[in-house]
Amino acid sequence: MRLWKSKLAQDEQSRPNSETAPADEPLKKRAARPTGPLVATNKIGATSFRGVDPPSPTSSGTTNPVSRSRIRVVTLGMGVITVGLLIQLIRVQFGPYAPVFAARGDVGSSRLERVIPARGLIYDRDGRLLAANATSYVLEVETRQLTAASRAAIPEVLSKVLLLPLGDLHDQLNRDWVSQNQFRIRLTRSDQAGDPLPINVDKYVAAVLNEFLADPYAPDLSGLSLVPNPKRVYPNGELAGHVLGFVNQENEGYFGVEGYYDEWLSGKPITISRPMIPPEAHAQPNPPAGVNLVLTLDMDIQQMVEYELTSAIKSSGSVSGEIIVMDPRNGEILALAAYPSLNPNEYEPWLVQEDGLEPVITPAVGAMFEPGSTFKVITMASALDAGVVEPDSEFLDTGEIEVGGNLIRNWDGEAWGPQTMLGCMEHSLNVCLAWVASEKLGASTLYSYLNAFGIGRLTGTDLSGEIAGQLRTPRHPDWTESDLGTNSFGQGVSMTPVQLMTAVAAVANDGVMVQPHIVRQIVGPSGAYSPKTIVLGRPVTPETAHTLSEMLATSLEGETAYASLAGYRLAGKTGTAQIPGDFGYDPRWTIASFIGWGPVDDPQFLVLVRLDKPETSPWGSVVAAPVFQKVVRRLVVFLEIPPDAVTG
Amino acid sequence: MPQAFKQAPWRHQVLSTSRTALWIVGFVVLGGVYLAVNSKVASAGRELLVLERRHELLVRTNGELNATYAALISPDSMMERASYLGFRPALPIEIQYLLVEGFEVSAGFEAPRPLTSEEERQGMLSPSYTETLGEWISRFAIGGDQ
Repeated sequence: MRLWKSKLAQDEQSRPNSETAPADEPLKKRAARPTGPLVATNKIGATSFRGVDPPSPTSSGTTNPVSRSRIRVVTLGMGVITVGLLIQLIRVQFGPYAPVFAARGDVGSSRLERVIPARGLIYDRDGRLLAANATSYVLEVETRQLTAASRAAIPEVLSKVLLLPLGDLHDQLNRDWVSQNQFRIRLTRSDQAGDPLPINVDKYVAAVLNEFLADPYAPDLSGLSLVPNPKRVYPNGELAGHVLGFVNQENEGYFGVEGYYDEWLSGKPITISRPMIPPEAHAQPNPPAGVNLVLTLDMDIQQMVEYELTSAIKSSGSVSGEIIVMDPRNGEILALAAYPSLNPNEYEPWLVQEDGLEPVITPAVGAMFEPGSTFKVITMASALDAGVVEPDSEFLDTGEIEVGGNLIRNWDGEAWGPQTMLGCMEHSLNVCLAWVASEKLGASTLYSYLNAFGIGRLTGTDLSGEIAGQLRTPRHPDWTESDLGTNSFGQGVSMTPVQLMTAVAAVANDGVMVQPHIVRQIVGPSGAYSPKTIVLGRPVTPETAHTLSEMLATSLEGETAYASLAGYRLAGKTGTAQIPGDFGYDPRWTIASFIGWGPVDDPQFLVLVRLDKPETSPWGSVVAAPVFQKVVRRLVVFLEIPPDAVTG
Repeated sequence: MPQAFKQAPWRHQVLSTSRTALWIVGFVVLGGVYLAVNSKVASAGRELLVLERRHELLVRTNGELNATYAALISPDSMMERASYLGFRPALPIEIQYLLVEGFEVSAGFEAPRPLTSEEERQGMLSPSYTETLGEWISRFAIGGDQ
């Protein structure tokens, strides 16, 4: 304050005296003075405040060129900004993208989005990834952004890059979508059945198209956009394809594990409101994720089994076949191979079969067959358990037997003379087993045992598409006594391969029949869950199971030596089944099979080999048994099963 | 003796200008604070949107890398590579077994939990961001504020 006062004093002194107003001059008059220092006095008469006019560039009558140029620059800058804003406003309001902005404005400050959680992963028992998630891109077009040039360029580019028909794409782009209130469309292509499917491109094609979109010198693709879309991928290709099933473009699982556990794997999609104004953005809730699955499959065994199956199919000239490996103690399926193989990455051809028949994916549970002589294991187990025969019970084979008016003959049409039950199994004599069923067991007892073995019923395995098979019992109106004879050696009864495995596993596992399953562990957000072994029943006693195992081990060492493996004691049974058709059994083709397990003293695996319509030989002992041997030779290495001599 | 007194006009101008300037400064300060806070919110929101997109992209990329890795170590690929390096599958008679009493096989592979488990979601956001003023005051009043 003091400094200010002294400054004012200096100013006052520097001004002429005439400018100083006298103290006694009337206040009104003094107030009328236009300029100059004004002095207010108090009652004491001392000067208290003084006001001084600030120096003004205009007051002196001269112009400051620097200030004026600054004003011009600022004015010019503001003018440019204003003009820019105006242009932008006009562009937004009336420009080519005006409808887009308007539509976006109509939506509001947020938009509803359906968030699909990542589908659960599938691993094999050692943690190798079998089903993963990747990204594909669907092609969408904002119809209001299409220009005359892009209507022509988009079909042209896409038809060349994706090898799609030009006309179809051209038609899709040149419809009047806007009048139909369709502002965003998905480009489609036709599948083999002629139905439209969204065009999906992988990341490599998407990168090429994005380069086109970004390049100003490339053809005009205005309106085209690539929208990321979750895609299921199977890194192992065809390996275990029939086990896994597949996921379609709508993220829905079908067949196999994908079909059975679809709801678990897919999680729960949610709809969120995603703000489009940054200040309103907030952390979005995550949808409940799908669970991860660990299968009982061992991919090394699976790969080996698929290799052996393909080799056997080619060497025998078969049209199709299956090999299944299961642990009879707990029902874990270690490998499940089927031919023709299915690549879940390219499942569409499977859905349109050339002969118009319904495609069978995962035939191990989805297709039934007449098992033939492998079924004799169940008949003989029933007879032994019922106590109607012993391994050394004698039977005179005359080469034929009549049951219910139906004449049954042996596979070779020959009479094998006096036989024990062991010989009947070793030589796979139909006549003997028909005699056991009809003369010893009787219909009531046999079908009671078949019911206990679960024949004609679902096993409840966790693979999608399981069917129950067909077994006519005496209660069935079409059942005749001749069925009793044919059923005893596996004809006239239909079952799935997994059903046969489940029943025979009871013999291998001390009479305890467990449910086959493919999932070993389910891991969700709240933790891991391991399904327990489910016992389906105890159709025979442990003693019966041991007795029959010994019989089948002995018969395998003799008649079916093609299936034996040095150092390991194995049990098994061949099967050669006729194929039923519309006009009776096919006279030419058979289903050759072999089912066996080992080591007999401590069974750790059960293997079923099935070859359909082999050309080189119709017999299971010739085409299927050697495959069993090859599989087991590798299997004991993978499972680290030492030879019997080591374990004692 | 009292003397008539009147403020000089310039003084009125100064006072009114000062008052106006004070209001303006107040408004400017408040506006500035409001603008600063909102710009921070906006930039945080924008960053959040960007991070969400980046997260989605990373999840997609991660999935694709996992799939690629799985394809590289698939049994077919490994078998092919092993054959190329001169290996072949072992036969049972070529393996020496050693019995070890009491040896227990490991429990085996356990799959990882899905990415969006509840525990992870709860741990993502600090309560400081969701706590209301009332909650904070009540927490402060009972001495829970640390």
